[in-house]
Order: sequence, then structure tokens, then C-alpha cells
Amino acid sequence: MPDFAAPVERLIDELKHLPGIGQKTAQRLAFYLLRIPAEDALGLAEAIRNAKEKIRACSICHNITDNDPCIYCTGANRNKRCICVVEEAHNIMAIEKTRTYSGMYHVLGGALSPLQGRGPEQLFIKSLIERLKGGAVEEIIVATNPTAEGEATAVYLSKLLKPLGVKVTRIGVGIPVGADLEYADEVTMLKAMEGRREL
Amino acid sequence: MPAQDTEAIILKTFPLGEADRLVSFLSRSSGRMRGVAAGARKLKNRYGSTLELLAHVQMEYIERETRDLVRIQQCDLLDSFHAAQSEYSLATGLALVSEIVEILLPEREPAEAMFRLVLLTAREIERRKEWRIPAGYFVFWAVKLAGWLPPLDRCGKCGAQLGSGDGYHASWSPGQLCRDCRHPGMRAISLPAREVAPLFARKGLEKLSEAEAPGGLVGELRDACLDWIEHHTERKLITRNLLETA
Repeated sequence: MPDFAAPVERLIDELKHLPGIGQKTAQRLAFYLLRIPAEDALGLAEAIRNAKEKIRACSICHNITDNDPCIYCTGANRNKRCICVVEEAHNIMAIEKTRTYSGMYHVLGGALSPLQGRGPEQLFIKSLIERLKGGAVEEIIVATNPTAEGEATAVYLSKLLKPLGVKVTRIGVGIPVGADLEYADEVTMLKAMEGRREL
Repeated sequence: MPAQDTEAIILKTFPLGEADRLVSFLSRSSGRMRGVAAGARKLKNRYGSTLELLAHVQMEYIERETRDLVRIQQCDLLDSFHAAQSEYSLATGLALVSEIVEILLPEREPAEAMFRLVLLTAREIERRKEWRIPAGYFVFWAVKLAGWLPPLDRCGKCGAQLGSGDGYHASWSPGQLCRDCRHPGMRAISLPAREVAPLFARKGLEKLSEAEAPGGLVGELRDACLDWIEHHTERKLITRNLLETA
């Protein structure tokens, strides 16, 4: 016999599918949604439906967008000679926040991860190579995460792209601003030393 | 409970919650365990970067009797295989090692021999900048330590000596069969490839050269051993398909 009424059980089951949500949290969220005014709960449902119906991948850079191509691919003021390669679409926001980069983007859809069965074929690498064929692109900035998978992806891309005559650069890796050197681990410190620059 | 201090090898990590990591690791003293590294994904975390695949660390964790997961308090890097991880082909070899340890070892059973084998394999992959011989050696010893290595000189069904003929294996068969007993779809393992097995058994990996164990023969033996692992664990290895393209 179920513990709750069938619609509540279903709501809890659906919420449990979300990442990081277990049975207890799903129950708490379900009862919160039942408590709040109907228009708020339905507003959330409508927002999910709207996002699922309208959002798609950009056919050029694979960023998520409601207009294809996305604003970065169509922007008149964007620098078409430079492409920044990121793992996921939400990484673009982190770079845009700096307000110093005005080039194009390319979303790979993840990083090379053999343990998850993700090889080069599973990433949007072919479409990146296609974008280079016009010869307009001069630089590729590889902004994958500074994890083992991200580094492997960066090295793989550099080996693949350099023979095509394009400059391949990697974002800096090292000590975060505001941190104390005393607490830096060996790998981070090593990367920081490798990436040092002349003042 | 007092904090436990152990040498460990990181086998796998998964994002957990906002900024934590769920870590599967092989402890030298306590075997395969899982724990939570709170805040490990935060930018200023002190040990986040030590939780990379197959990193050899000195770990401090707290265990509670009522909890399955331990709480990782501190991690200091002893050996990093970051250079090997940065190379896709080598990373694939390391991932195969990690995946096999994960599915082969039960939780919380000390496995000192496996610990030493994993460390040796990872060090050799990094030193040689090549994964085929170290991964082949690892897979052979993993099957041997698990007690799944069938006799390589005779047929597992009729017992006939294979002599110079090929043996045949598949992931749905526990041993190898002769030409007469084989089933359609089985793959062959040649005599020279079978002769690599005693070489692996008696010689240390650091002393093995490409001339003694050529990549093609090691590949044949590795393929057979992977079939036996898949047969006994009843699981398909995810990294196996990627070995071809690595």
C-alpha cells in the first residue's frame, strides 16, 4: 500500500530523478509544492514545459538557445577569428562574466572520459573541425575544466587542430585569486609554475 | 570513531550535491571503500585536485558504524599520474585498470596484492608513456589473483592439449576451448600469445621489454583475460570498446 496519495507519490518519484535528490528531499520538495499557492506551483510547471519546448542546441556551436543560431554565433560584434572551446553550455556564462572575451564558442558536450564510455566520437569534435574549414579562424582557446578529463581533452584537441594551421591555446591553470600559497596542493602549484609569465 | 590514516588509490569520483564528491578508493589496509569528500569541487578546496583517477594519496577519514560512506577529512598526494591522464590513450589504459578494480574487489576486504599491482601498473604506464604492456600485465594478474585463470595449454571442455594450435575464448565462456569444441563467435588466442602468460607470471613488469612481450601478442592475451573478467563478473567493461581507438 502506498504511503501517500497516488498523485503525491508520482510527484515524489519524478523529483527523485533530479540529480542530488533522494527520497527525503523529494518528499520535502513535494510537500513544499503542495503548500505554496497554486499559481506558483503551476508557474514552475509552465517554466519547465516552456524550457523543454523552446530550448534547443545551436546548430553551429551546440550552445543551448531558443533561437538557432544562438546570439554568440550571430552577434555582429563578435570576433569570428577566435573560438573558445568549452565542455558544457553553462561554462559559456563563466567566460562571458569576465566581459573581456568577445569571440565565438564551441560546446563539446563533455570531456573525454573512458570510464564513462565517452571517447572522441561522443563529443562534438567533427563539427569543430568543420568550422575551421573556411580558414577564417586563427585561434582556438581550449577552456575545458582543469580536471584529468579536461586536460586529456585539451591535449587531444591540440594534437588534432595544430596540423590544420590554427593557433591552439589553453586557459591558465593555477592558484585561485584570494587563495594562500601555503594551502596549494602539489598539482595546482606545479601547473601554476608551468604557466608563469614574465612581468 | 577516531580518524583512520591510510595509503589509498582513487578509483573513481562522482559529483555529489552542490560541491562535494563521492569517492571510491582502494585503501591499502582496508580494501575498496567509498566516502564523501565534502567541498572537494570548490575552487579553493585543499585536496580537490588530489582526487583524480588512480592518484596515490595519504588519506585520513572518519568511519561511523551506522554509515556506509566514510567521511574523507584530508588527502595528501603521494604519486600523481597527471601527465599520463593528460594523454587520451594513456588515460584509457588507466581507466581500464580503475574499472576492473571497481568491479573485481568486494567492499572492505583488504587487497594488498591488488593495491601493489595497481600502483605498479599506473607507474609503468606513466614511465613508458605506453599502456599496452602494463595494461596487459595488469589484466593477466587481476584474472590470476581472482582465481579465474583457466589452464592455457589445454581445452577446458575435452581436456585435449592445444599444442601449437589456437585456443578460443569468449565472454560467455569461462575457459578456452580447442578448435573442435569451439563455438561460433569465439576469438582465437595463438600459442605465442599464450606463452606471454608464464612470462608475466615470473617477471616483474618494470623488467619486461617490448621485444619479450610484443604489443600484438599482449593484446591477444589481454583480450582473453578481459573476456574471462566479463564472464565471471557478468558485466560488460565500458572502457574495453575505447581501447581500440586509444
